[in-house]
Amino acid sequence: MSVMAEQSAVAGRQSVKRLAVDHARIRLRKRRLHELARHLALGLITFLLVAPFYYVLLASLKDSNAIFQYPPDLVPWPPYWGNYANVLSHTNFLRWMFNTLFVATTVTVLKVFLDSMAGYALAKIDFTGRKAVFLLMLTLLMVPGGALVVPLWSLVHSFGLINTYFALILPPLANPLGAILMRQFILGLPRDLENAARLDGLNEFQIYWRIVLPLIKPALVVLAVILFTDQFMSFIWPLIATTSDDLIVLTVGVASLRAHGGVDYGLWSASAVMSLVPIAILFFILQRQFLARSLAGALKQ
Amino acid sequence: MTELHVSANPDPAIELIEVSKHYGKAEAVKAVDLAIAPGEFIALLGPSGCGKSTLLKLIAGLEELTDGEIYVGGKLANYLKPSARNVAMVFQNYALYPHMTVRENVGFPLKMGGVPGEQVKARVEAAANLLQLSAQLERFPDELSGGQRQRVALGRAIVREPLAFLMDEPLSNLDALLRVEMRTELLRLHKRVGRTTIYVTHDQIEAMTMADRIVLMNKGEIQQIGSPSEIYEAPANTFVAKFVGSPPMNLVEGRVEHGSGGLTFHGAMRLVAGKGFAGLSTGQATLGVRPEHIEIVAASHPDAIAARVDLVERVGSDSNVLMIVAGQAPMIASVDAAAALREGDDIHIRIPPEHVHFFDAAGRRVAGKGALQ
Repeated sequence: MSVMAEQSAVAGRQSVKRLAVDHARIRLRKRRLHELARHLALGLITFLLVAPFYYVLLASLKDSNAIFQYPPDLVPWPPYWGNYANVLSHTNFLRWMFNTLFVATTVTVLKVFLDSMAGYALAKIDFTGRKAVFLLMLTLLMVPGGALVVPLWSLVHSFGLINTYFALILPPLANPLGAILMRQFILGLPRDLENAARLDGLNEFQIYWRIVLPLIKPALVVLAVILFTDQFMSFIWPLIATTSDDLIVLTVGVASLRAHGGVDYGLWSASAVMSLVPIAILFFILQRQFLARSLAGALKQ
Repeated sequence: MTELHVSANPDPAIELIEVSKHYGKAEAVKAVDLAIAPGEFIALLGPSGCGKSTLLKLIAGLEELTDGEIYVGGKLANYLKPSARNVAMVFQNYALYPHMTVRENVGFPLKMGGVPGEQVKARVEAAANLLQLSAQLERFPDELSGGQRQRVALGRAIVREPLAFLMDEPLSNLDALLRVEMRTELLRLHKRVGRTTIYVTHDQIEAMTMADRIVLMNKGEIQQIGSPSEIYEAPANTFVAKFVGSPPMNLVEGRVEHGSGGLTFHGAMRLVAGKGFAGLSTGQATLGVRPEHIEIVAASHPDAIAARVDLVERVGSDSNVLMIVAGQAPMIASVDAAAALREGDDIHIRIPPEHVHFFDAAGRRVAGKGALQ
């Protein structure tokens, strides 16, 4: 090979190399742009979600004059704690909180138990009328809650339960959604697992309790969170089912702050922020449960 | 584990009398009679949907029978709960409890049976030892390989020391190599533990290699019960003939008539049946011959039948030759791969009368080598 040819070959190789480097750079730039766009979008969504909360938090930390200042002070310093003190001293807040927690916890525990049992029966036990029961439950899902309020009230009233905890706890237990959800989860469990359990000498309840429940734990946690938040935030039914001060739940209580001689936005915001605390704690605790051991390993690969 | 032995007792370990199972109008199992001796390894073989798994579930008590009687250990088991039948089952998908360790999985049936903790521990460890699972006792099922899961499932059955093992296609989820390995291991285990085993499979090789007796089923009915060699050498009907053996037996339709040399089969080819076909009579018949018995001969051979090679499949040392015999009947011959045959070759074959089977118009075996006279 001549020297010339060799040189041109080297030059050619170098230019190919340069081209490759250029391409890599362009690709990198493109990727960075994509990443930037993605982060901008995520940032915007986060802002939209967080801003209202932050605004309420801000309002709770300002006195009544500062709340209406324009432009608003985004970092009130020093924070004003008077609103929180007022909520605790001038309202029945702690009692409302207790009522809400008591009702929501009771409903959640009972309902997770009942729904998972009903779900097991609907999924795995071949009883007469199973299809009819399931269809009825599906149909009930389509009835809007508002349409049920009046008949439900007269029903509960006829039992003489208005103004008792029973009025708050019993009606939500009848909601079919949880049992339907549980049925779907339990249907997904392999039939051979129950068969193995049956051969191991377990009765129907033991299969439910020792085999099925541990395996649907993630689903139970999801259901529990849905039920608890649902109860925590329910408003209409607790409003009409109770009139006694001792039975008022958080949502009704906080709303009632408005009724007592105009609106104190600072007080209102502080009570709203405080009522979020239990829900936030619940989410943090249960977050880890969502990652519970999955079904992998029971089935073929 | 306690000493296990095969009893010389002629009483069957498991006996089925006229057992039927219907789902609505569909008959999954039709009037099955079967007696299984203690210590016997029985393979329930058949195509999918033939009722073999349903039959196993009926024995286990996981399905209720429509009609008939099931005796386990001499006791009527029709109304016994699955756990009271003293049988252990190994499932196709292993059915291990995912939330329990290997130790808990294997010990679970004992714990449920009220066996004291110390004893559970000892028996679980003995079973784990037998199955080489001792190192995996504290692991969860999803941390195990397919073969290990399979062993755990076996361990859970063994630890109960049941009267019989019921296995529902236990190897079908393993890859080919592991399946062969586990097959040998299962057989060794059976020899060692000596318990009655009913093994459901659709794999004829598993059935042929492992079973003392094969129960071949189709459409809910037993087609034939017999040792692997009986099933292979004297298939009771055309279904069995076709199902067992790979490649399957060649079947040729035709008629048997009186000829100059005695009874003669007229079909795609003419074949003088000669002596030794005691049950054979004139009329519609199907002739059967296994691929490995077909011989390739010179055109000058007195029995030569002309054939044209259609396709040659090489399978290691043998070749499966698909051919059209006498211009009309497709047949397969297994020949030495050294016989270099090509597509389109014109060859001559011989069907040795001593290896021929005859089936009547209804497909039932009437005569042939090793006939059931």
